Amino acid sequence: MAPQARTRVIIGGGVAGYVAAIKAGQEGMKVTCIEKRGTLGGTCLNVGCIPSKSLLNNSHLYHQVLHDTKHRGIEVGDVKLNLKQLMKAKEQSVSGLTKGVEFLLKKNGVEYLKGTGSFQDEHTVKVQLNDGGETSVTGKNILIATGSEVTPFPGLEIDEKTVISSTGAIALEKVPKKMVVIGGGIIGLEMASVWSRLGSEVTVVEFLDQIGGPGMDTEIAKNIQKILKKQGINFKTGTKVVSGDKTDGSVKLNLDSAKGGKAESIDADVVLVAIGRRPYTGGLGLENIGMELDERGRVIIDSEYRTKIPHIRCIGDVTFGPMLAHKAEEEAVAVVEYIKKGYGHVNYGVIPAVMYTFPEVAWVGQSEQDLKKAGINYRVGTFPFSANSRAKTNLDTDGMVKMLADPETDRLLGVHIIGPNAGEMIAEGTLALEYGASCEDIARTCHAHPTLAEAFKEAAMATYSKAIHF
Amino acid sequence: MASFAAACRMSARLATRKLQQDAASRGFRTSAAALAAQNFTMPALSPTMTEGNIAAWRVKEGEKFSAGDVLLEIETDKATMDVEAQEDGILMKVMQGDGSKGVQVGTRIAVIAEEGDDISSLEIPADEKAQSTQAAEAPKTQTPATPEPDSAPPSSTPPKVASKPGAKTSKQTYPLYPSVAQLVKENGLDESAVSGITPTGPGGRLLKGDVLAFLGKINTKTPSEISARFNKASHLDLSNIKVAKAPEPKKPAKEAAPVPPPAPVKSVVSLPVSLSAVIEAQRKIQKSLGVFLPLSTFISRASEVANDELPLPAGYQPTADELFNQVLGLDKVAGPKVSRGAYIPQIAALPPASAFPTSAAPAKKLDILDILAAPSRPKQAAKKTVVLPGASTGPNVFSLQVPKAEERRALVFLERVKLVLESEPGRLVL
Ligand SMILES: Cc1cc2nc3c(=O)[nH]c(=O)nc-3n(C[C@H](O)[C@H](O)[C@H](O)COP(=O)(O)OP(=O)(O)OC[C@H]3O[C@@H](n4cnc5c(N)ncnc54)[C@H](O)[C@@H]3O)c2cc1C
Repeated sequence: MAPQARTRVIIGGGVAGYVAAIKAGQEGMKVTCIEKRGTLGGTCLNVGCIPSKSLLNNSHLYHQVLHDTKHRGIEVGDVKLNLKQLMKAKEQSVSGLTKGVEFLLKKNGVEYLKGTGSFQDEHTVKVQLNDGGETSVTGKNILIATGSEVTPFPGLEIDEKTVISSTGAIALEKVPKKMVVIGGGIIGLEMASVWSRLGSEVTVVEFLDQIGGPGMDTEIAKNIQKILKKQGINFKTGTKVVSGDKTDGSVKLNLDSAKGGKAESIDADVVLVAIGRRPYTGGLGLENIGMELDERGRVIIDSEYRTKIPHIRCIGDVTFGPMLAHKAEEEAVAVVEYIKKGYGHVNYGVIPAVMYTFPEVAWVGQSEQDLKKAGINYRVGTFPFSANSRAKTNLDTDGMVKMLADPETDRLLGVHIIGPNAGEMIAEGTLALEYGASCEDIARTCHAHPTLAEAFKEAAMATYSKAIHF
Repeated sequence: MASFAAACRMSARLATRKLQQDAASRGFRTSAAALAAQNFTMPALSPTMTEGNIAAWRVKEGEKFSAGDVLLEIETDKATMDVEAQEDGILMKVMQGDGSKGVQVGTRIAVIAEEGDDISSLEIPADEKAQSTQAAEAPKTQTPATPEPDSAPPSSTPPKVASKPGAKTSKQTYPLYPSVAQLVKENGLDESAVSGITPTGPGGRLLKGDVLAFLGKINTKTPSEISARFNKASHLDLSNIKVAKAPEPKKPAKEAAPVPPPAPVKSVVSLPVSLSAVIEAQRKIQKSLGVFLPLSTFISRASEVANDELPLPAGYQPTADELFNQVLGLDKVAGPKVSRGAYIPQIAALPPASAFPTSAAPAKKLDILDILAAPSRPKQAAKKTVVLPGASTGPNVFSLQVPKAEERRALVFLERVKLVLESEPGRLVL
C-alpha cells in the first residue's frame, strides 16, 4: 500500500503531540497524530497530572473530614474510605478528559492513528496498528512528541505491586501499611501525601539535603518539609538507597547516609520509585534516520525545535527543558507557529511549577539559591498566611509568599509560595514576570478583600517597602 | 519616501528623543527628494549619549543591506551596540571608518543610497551637520540598547506604522505601569520626557527601573543588564550538548571505543585499578571478625555487581520477544536497553605506562542518579574464581578481551569494577 501523504505527522498523542495536532489542524494543515496508548493525552492525562490531582483532591477531603472538622463546629459520624470509589472518581475524570481530546482532534480535522509509529526513513513513518496490521504515512513535516518514562532504580525491578512507579501509585488496590518513597521530588511528595492521608505510614528517602527537587527555593523546601512532617510523613534526606530485597509481599531497603556513614535498613509493603523520568524514544526507529540524542537520551534540537534533520522537529518531555505539561503545551503551539509563521514564543525563564500537596507549593522565576549562585544582588520580601485575613477565616494559615526582586530597579525576579491554592496564585506572579513588572506594580494593583491574593500583594509591598499587615 | 518617514516614526519608539526625531524626519524629507542619496549620521543610542566610537562597520562600501541587517557597531562608555537598518539600501560611502573615536552625535558617518540606485552616478550630498547639528539620522535605524527581549528571527522585520504628520513617535501606546505612572507624576516628567526614556521591558515597555535610571537614581546600566539576563533565561539552554554515541536512552561511557566496525575484531580494553582500599578492608575485616577474605572474593563480587545491566553491544539485534514487547509498549516497564554481562577481568601488575592509551580510561563523571543507582548486591554469592598473579597494593591492570562491538560495554564493566573496588570494597562482602 502506498503511504498516505500528509503535511504533518505527529508521533505521540500526549500533551505535546495532541496540542500540536489541534493547533496544526486549526492552521489548515493535513495532520495525522499517532498514539500507541489507546487513549490520547499521554502521561499527563492518563497516568500523570490528572489522575494524581484527582487522588490528591479527594484524599485531602477525606483527611480533612476525618481530622479537621470538630474544631470548626462540624460533627461527623463514621467516616469510611471507599478506595474503589475513589479510584473510580479518578478514572471518570481521566476518561472524560481523554475522550474530550479525541473529540477536539476530530473537530479540527486531525486523523488519529492508534498504533506505534517508527521511522522507516526521513519522510516515512511506519505504524504498527494496535488492532493488528500495519500502515505507513509520509509527512512533509514530522514531529516527535514521544514523551518520557519512569527512570528505573537499578536492582529494584518495578512490578507495579510491591515496587511501583507513579503509574502503580495512582492505582493501588489497598492502602499499604508501610510505604517508602524513593525520591523526594514533586511526584514523590504528591504520592506520599495521597497515601499518608489515606492511612499509610509513609517515609520519603531523598538523596539530596532538600526535598522538592532542584528548582524549589531552599527556604520554601525547608518550610514545606516541616509542614508535611507535621502531617505525618517521615523524611530521610541526605540518604541514599543502596539496595533492596524483595521477599513475597514486602521489601527491605538498605540505606546509607549520602555523605558516607551509618547504614540502616527499612521495611515497606510498597516501595515507590520516584527518582525522575527520562526521555522515551524506544521503538521509534531513530537509528534508521541517524537521529542524534544527547547523553541523557534527549533528542537534540535547535532553538526552533528542529532536529538534525530539519523537517523533523521535536518537543515535550523527550527533548530539553523542564518535564512539565504546560511547557509541552507552549512548545506545541510555538512549533506550529514556527512552521506556519516563522516565529513562535516560549519564554523559558517564566515557566511556573506547582506541587499539589496541602498546602500547595508553587514558584516561578529564580530561587534565592539560583541568584546567590549567579552572584546577583536581590531583595527578599515575605508575607505569612498567618497574617492574612482570609487564611485566618479558613483556619488554614500555614505557608507564606516570598518575593525576590532586583534591589535597584525593583524588577521582580522570582515568586515562591506555600499556601492553599498557591498553584492558582502563581499565575499572577507569572504574568508579572512576563511583563517585567516591579514589586511596586503588583503592590499598586488592587486586590480584593478578604482574599488569599492579598498576601501576594503584601509580599510585594514587603519587598519594595513595607507590608501593612505584618 | 513615505515609507522612510514611516520608518523614522517607528524606530523612534526604540531609540531617540522626540526632538531629534522631528528634526530628523524633516531634514530627511527635503534632502531625500532632492538627492536620492542620504547622509547617515551618528545616532544617539540613549538619551544621554553625546558621542561614540565606531567599533566596526558590518556592511562594506558598495554593499547592499536589508532592513534588519546590522550596519555597524557603536561603542559608548556604557556598552557596544548594534545599529540595524530600518530600510533596504546600499552603503554608498563610509565617512568615519572602523575605530573612529569620539564621533559626536549628528556627525555624518556615511552616505547611503536607496535600493536600486546606481551609486556610480549618484552625487554625495553635502554634510548637513553645519545647518543642523541635531539632525541625527538615527530614525533610519533601529537601535535597541540591548537585545530586544523577544526579538524575532531575522526573517521577520519590524512592522511599519502608518505615518501621521506630527504624531508623537515615542509615546507609550499602552497604559503606563502603576509604578511608572507614580514616578512620572512624582517627578513632574512631561510626555516628551517620558518619550525620551529608553524602555528595557518586554516588547519595548517602560519599566520602573528605566525611569529610575533616567532620573539618575540608580546605575543607568542596571535596567539593560537585567533585561539582558531575562532575555538569556527566556531561551532553552542548548549550549554544551553532549551527543550520545548511539541512539539509545542509556548513559553512555563517554569517549569510549570509536565506532565499532562490523568485523568481529577482538580488542583489549583495560583500566588501572588500585587495590589498596581492598587490602585495607581485608585487614579491617580480619581484625574485627577474624576472617580472612582472599582478594579473589572481592574481585569476583565486584565483577558480579558490575556485570549487572551493562549497555548492549553496538549493533545488538533485539530478540523477537523484545520486539514484541516494544510493539506492545511493554518495554517501558521492562526497563532500559541493557543486559547482564558475564565478564571476568584479567589482572596484571601495572606494565609500563606506554601500554595505556589514555582514552581507554576516561574519568567517568558520576551524577546523582549514578550514585543512587550504584547496584550493590552482596547477597549473591560469588561463583567464579579469578586467578590473581601477585596483586600489588599499587595499581593493577584489569583487562578484558572482547569483540570490537563490545568495547563500550566492557569499559563500562571495568569502570564499575574500579569504582566499587576503589571506593567501598567493604560493602561487597559485608
Ligand atoms: C505522576 C505524574 C504527575 C505529573 N503531574 C504533573 C503536573 O501536575 N503538572 C505538570 O505540568 N506535569 C506533570 N507531570 C508531567 C507531565 O505528565 C509531562 O510533562 C507531560 O505529560 C509531557 O507531555 P509529552 O506530550 O511530552 O509526553 P507524554 O505525555 O509522555 O506523551 C507521549 C505519548 O507518546 C506516546 N508514544 C511514545 N512513543 C510512541 C510511538 N513510537 N508511537 C506512538 N505513540 C508513542 C506515548 O504512549 C505517550 O502517550 C506529571 C507526570 C507524572 C508521571
